[in-house]
Amino acid sequence: MSQEVREPVATTGTSAGAGTDAGTEAAVRLQRELANEPQGIGDVVRGTIRRARGGDLGVLPVVGGIVVIWVVFQLTNRSFLSSTNLINLTIDLVPVGVIALGIVCVLLVGEIDLSVGSMSGVSAAVLGTVFIRWELPLVLGVLAALAAGALVGWIYAQAYNRLGVPSFVITLAGLLGLLGVQLWVLTGRDGYNLGFDSPIVRFTSLAFVPAWLAYALVVVAVAASLGLGLAGSRARRAHDLPAVSTQWLLLRSAVLLLALAFAVYYLSLKRGVPWLFVCFIGLVLAMQYLLTRTRFGRNLYAVGGNTEAARRAGIDVRKVYTSAFVLCSSLAALGGILAASRLGAATQDTGTGDVNLNAIAAAVIGGTSLFGGRGTAISALLGILVIGSISSGLTLQQLDSSYRFMITGAVLLLAVALDSVARRSRQASGRG
Amino acid sequence: MTVLETRADGDRRGPGGAEPVLRLRGISKSFGAVAALGGVDLDVRAGEVVAVVGDNGAGKSTLVKVLSGVHPPDAGTIERDGRQVQLGSPADARRLGIATVFQDLALCENLDVTANLFLGQELRPWALDDVGMEVRSWTLLRELSARLPTLGVPVSSLSGGQRQTVAIARTLLGDPRVIVLDEPTAALGVAQTAEVLNLVERLRDNGLAVIVISHNMEDVRAVADRICVLRLGRNNGDFAVDDVTNEQLVAAITGADDNAVSRRAERRAGAAPAAGAEPTTSPSTTTDQEVTP
Repeated sequence: MSQEVREPVATTGTSAGAGTDAGTEAAVRLQRELANEPQGIGDVVRGTIRRARGGDLGVLPVVGGIVVIWVVFQLTNRSFLSSTNLINLTIDLVPVGVIALGIVCVLLVGEIDLSVGSMSGVSAAVLGTVFIRWELPLVLGVLAALAAGALVGWIYAQAYNRLGVPSFVITLAGLLGLLGVQLWVLTGRDGYNLGFDSPIVRFTSLAFVPAWLAYALVVVAVAASLGLGLAGSRARRAHDLPAVSTQWLLLRSAVLLLALAFAVYYLSLKRGVPWLFVCFIGLVLAMQYLLTRTRFGRNLYAVGGNTEAARRAGIDVRKVYTSAFVLCSSLAALGGILAASRLGAATQDTGTGDVNLNAIAAAVIGGTSLFGGRGTAISALLGILVIGSISSGLTLQQLDSSYRFMITGAVLLLAVALDSVARRSRQASGRG
Repeated sequence: MTVLETRADGDRRGPGGAEPVLRLRGISKSFGAVAALGGVDLDVRAGEVVAVVGDNGAGKSTLVKVLSGVHPPDAGTIERDGRQVQLGSPADARRLGIATVFQDLALCENLDVTANLFLGQELRPWALDDVGMEVRSWTLLRELSARLPTLGVPVSSLSGGQRQTVAIARTLLGDPRVIVLDEPTAALGVAQTAEVLNLVERLRDNGLAVIVISHNMEDVRAVADRICVLRLGRNNGDFAVDDVTNEQLVAAITGADDNAVSRRAERRAGAAPAAGAEPTTSPSTTTDQEVTP
């Protein structure tokens, strides 16, 4: 099966009527019909199996992992899959999930940011200082925190672009340095209470989408995805390009609709779907659009795939690195704001501990490659679901955090090992 | 609609006839004390394939870099369609319609064919026009009569010949007049080499001026109209491909009639006169030469 892709039939042919356009046209059309593009449902399934064999596992392992984790924890503790616990889970995973989105950006260009945890701590401290100590409007505090993130990312990018210091070292220095900045900003106190009546704290912990609105959002989202899919495949068919079949699009939308509607129903048994989680999904989708449907995103992949080729194609490689670092640090800052809000306070401990590695682990577990050029925004969402589930499940077991660290570490190692093995298998089957 | 076909003018293969698209005169380039090029002349006309051959260190790579604008020449003139021009940067080369396919091809293996073709010049930057780009890609590949089964696979899954095709097709997006191919067959197998040679012929038939840098003499003879020999950074002969024997070429490349290759050929001819015919000179033997001055 995969043989067909790797060794397509003769690519150039003098035989098929070089001059006669009709002959060429027909030959090309035949080639396209033979092409292994997903067409019907069967083709989609076969295509997935073929790609998986070639080492392109997609989201399969991580979705499988989530199922296994959920089943195991549900068997050991009946309250794991309860509405209440899942609602808490969807809220708790968001801050680190946002940070993981930024990690995806730097990983895509083949770099790393080890300081996102400290960055989120600094951001929380800045928010607390501006909002509570100086008593300025909340918006200013949020903007100041985000600006701090962007500034740090910009400094990293300058050190990387101009001095050529490896990002590993730059951000390791940043990890320590920013921890110092966080303590310095909070000099003389343990932290700032953001106050449980402040809008941002209410938003992160107490804002839930009314059930009717949640259902409406689900319907609108599925309809939009179906509409875009249909329009896209009609446009492709109009130009004689291989397109996904309507049948498959309808099936996919139906499954999506049922799954999302059930999720809304289940969460609405208790408090409902948290606004914070809905906003996180929106952010993930926006990032996914940015990565796949814009030149900006294409450039990230190109630089991560082959920096020299990107440079020769006229891409301003330095600018791409700068935007990746700035985006990552800014999202880390946003994650810090959300973490502080969730806790109701910006403390010396915000962003310390396992935040850093959980964010990186989430991106990698979700399927973003550590080697650059491969990854999606969705991977941050899936990865943080895994990390969040493990953390939540172990907390329910009332296990010590020592076990939590060990288990999360093992899962990270497993994910990276899977990435490395898949990469080797891709190279063996010529899929890079 | 096809860019290339409009370029095809009547006088395609007449090397003596038309005005050169690109004319280099006295191109020199030194790196410190090393003179890589010392006054090289080169003409190439529309619908003509000129092969530049030479031994290691003859200045081929430097010539490619001059043509692509990577290294501006120290001295000499460059004319495009009879007008003197400056080649100071890769952007200059692009503007003058001189496209170079380097030996490493510079493709992003993680991106698919269409993404590679349009890298850095995507249609609709904030809402990529995938359909438009894919249609244009098929058009380009059809002009090259290149058959790829699908454009939706990463370049890493393509064969060497197909990658070369993609790299060449990408240069055609810029609507060039001159295409410089640096060692296009160096890393390819027999069938893929034939594929690429077909491609070169198609570029010529579409009216482009093609410069092929190579040290594989068989490929050069198979596809070139003229062969320009470089030796130690200077011109050392310019031959029409039909009027030159392999011995003459080897002599021009090594700079001596009496060289390792010719001696070897004589020895073999003497040892087995029955085998007779034309002694087969393998280009690889030129590497273990002892050049007599």
